[in-house]
Amino acid sequence: MDGPSPLVRYPGKRELIRVHTRPPHLETPFSVFNEGLITPNDAFFVRYHLAGFPKSIDPEKFRLSVKGAVKTPLHLSLSELKVIAEQVEVIAVNQCSGNSRGYSLPRVFGAQLGNGAMGKGRWAGLPLKAVILTNVKYVAFNGLDKPVFQSTTDFQKALDIEHALSDEPMLAWKMNGEELPFLNGYPLKLIVPAYFGTYWVKHLSEIEVLDQPFQGHDSFFMNTGYRLPDNDCMCVAPETVAAKTLPISTLPARSFITNIKADDVLQSNSVVELKGIVFDSDAGIKTVEVFIDGGQTWRSAKLGESLGRFSFREWELPVSFIKTDLTILMVRARNNQGETQPALATLNHGGYRRNVIENTPVNIV
Amino acid sequence: MKYINRTIRILVFTLMLTLLSSLVNAQTSTVELPSETAQFLSSHLPGYLLATQKCMICHAADYIMYQPPGQNLEQWTKEMLKMRNTYGAPISGLELRSIAAYLAVTYGSAKETDAGVIAASKVLKPVLGSKLDATEDVKQLLTSNACFDCHAIDRKVIGPSFQTIASKYKDDSQALRKLATSIQTGGRGKWGSVSMPAMSNLNSPQDKALAKYVLKQ
Repeated sequence: MDGPSPLVRYPGKRELIRVHTRPPHLETPFSVFNEGLITPNDAFFVRYHLAGFPKSIDPEKFRLSVKGAVKTPLHLSLSELKVIAEQVEVIAVNQCSGNSRGYSLPRVFGAQLGNGAMGKGRWAGLPLKAVILTNVKYVAFNGLDKPVFQSTTDFQKALDIEHALSDEPMLAWKMNGEELPFLNGYPLKLIVPAYFGTYWVKHLSEIEVLDQPFQGHDSFFMNTGYRLPDNDCMCVAPETVAAKTLPISTLPARSFITNIKADDVLQSNSVVELKGIVFDSDAGIKTVEVFIDGGQTWRSAKLGESLGRFSFREWELPVSFIKTDLTILMVRARNNQGETQPALATLNHGGYRRNVIENTPVNIV
Repeated sequence: MKYINRTIRILVFTLMLTLLSSLVNAQTSTVELPSETAQFLSSHLPGYLLATQKCMICHAADYIMYQPPGQNLEQWTKEMLKMRNTYGAPISGLELRSIAAYLAVTYGSAKETDAGVIAASKVLKPVLGSKLDATEDVKQLLTSNACFDCHAIDRKVIGPSFQTIASKYKDDSQALRKLATSIQTGGRGKWGSVSMPAMSNLNSPQDKALAKYVLKQ
């Protein structure tokens, strides 16, 4: 972002952009998104919060506990989990809440991410509802990673019971047909399609059923962190603080050009194929429009096949540039609920949920 | 009724699988992370030593290098307050001001000559300065270098207890040298996933005095 971003190689990963060495935080180089709609396991971004992350996990000894307001607490091994219910699969985008934070203006503290803290996987496992044997109010989730000081809050997340018992959340042990990579949450990960990555708890080891809202020291990442202003734009004016906030939740519509980078040189008077990806939470994409030459019109791109409502979708548009000049390419998505991308980025204190229309400056010769 | 049936189903599966799972021999999965090369930029401001000792207990130095440039003292101080109040970092109010001053000068827009930086840095000099020598009480070294944030004599806190370290090295003729080096340069991977920050502000007699004290436990 503000200088060279070194590439590093971590176990099970190809060279990825180093965000933080420890706890590991790695971003996917953006060129990967031009190579296919599924993000390969070794290219998928990695994000931990706590210094006490696990470095060794014995799948024989691993247990998922389901406890709290339940009649019979469960301690399920992986082999037990695999036969409780029929295996299900979903293709879904996992995007970090702070993806693209490095472009926030004014700048905000936090990992200065480019656009690569996202990825799309084919997740296989069992529906979360198969292990939630009650219908009380909330369900909290915890993984094997731990803080080093007792004074530091653990990383735990919660869903309300209607969401937990819906068809969507999943306990996954497979990603793109293989075991989960260690750094993406081996051996079990909570998948929450349409929701930001913060809910996708890695190394998931505890599910606590609650008959009251999730509270206390370890509820920080629900009740204080990862929250947005509670208003229509989920935003604030510069230098102001939101009066009320709510937990970050679903992905807004976003679209990117993947085959052209900033400052690329393109030929005039010849056909240039623009290509990219688009996604939203789950309403489905209605249109992708591209703006190429300072003209007055947005042109409609052709949408590729849909791999499911939680998936990236491809778009493409052949264009030709008449004038030789510096110009800016822009792409914007609109979903089936009429939600579109703003021309100006909205502000919030954490640099979360960015979905402004992307600008790609290019030189036409 | 639906829930009861499901519970029974799970229990039956559990029994069936006790036998089955003993036949499956899945391997333990481990990761070895690449070594940590990011370092804080050195400075004679007292916040520099505090930063290397305290911040790197929980995260690598690249957490700081990767923040947006140009942040001022007030912004860095707020960030340090967040580290202490929200994330439970073991830093006192005076320490957090001193660390913020170092970070704002080194990575932000503040100048060493700013009144705020001078005020925030002054407070700690007598406590943290490297002028302590080995003749001073080891206990004072332990306290002023925050050793007890992570260690105790007889039980594991974040790092191993001094007694555990002493027993690990009891038959090692190089124990004193090894331990003094670990204190000076920090340690990684010997006792678990949390690294020990380098106590590079200490001089060699101080390292040895501390090592000797630990080995006696």
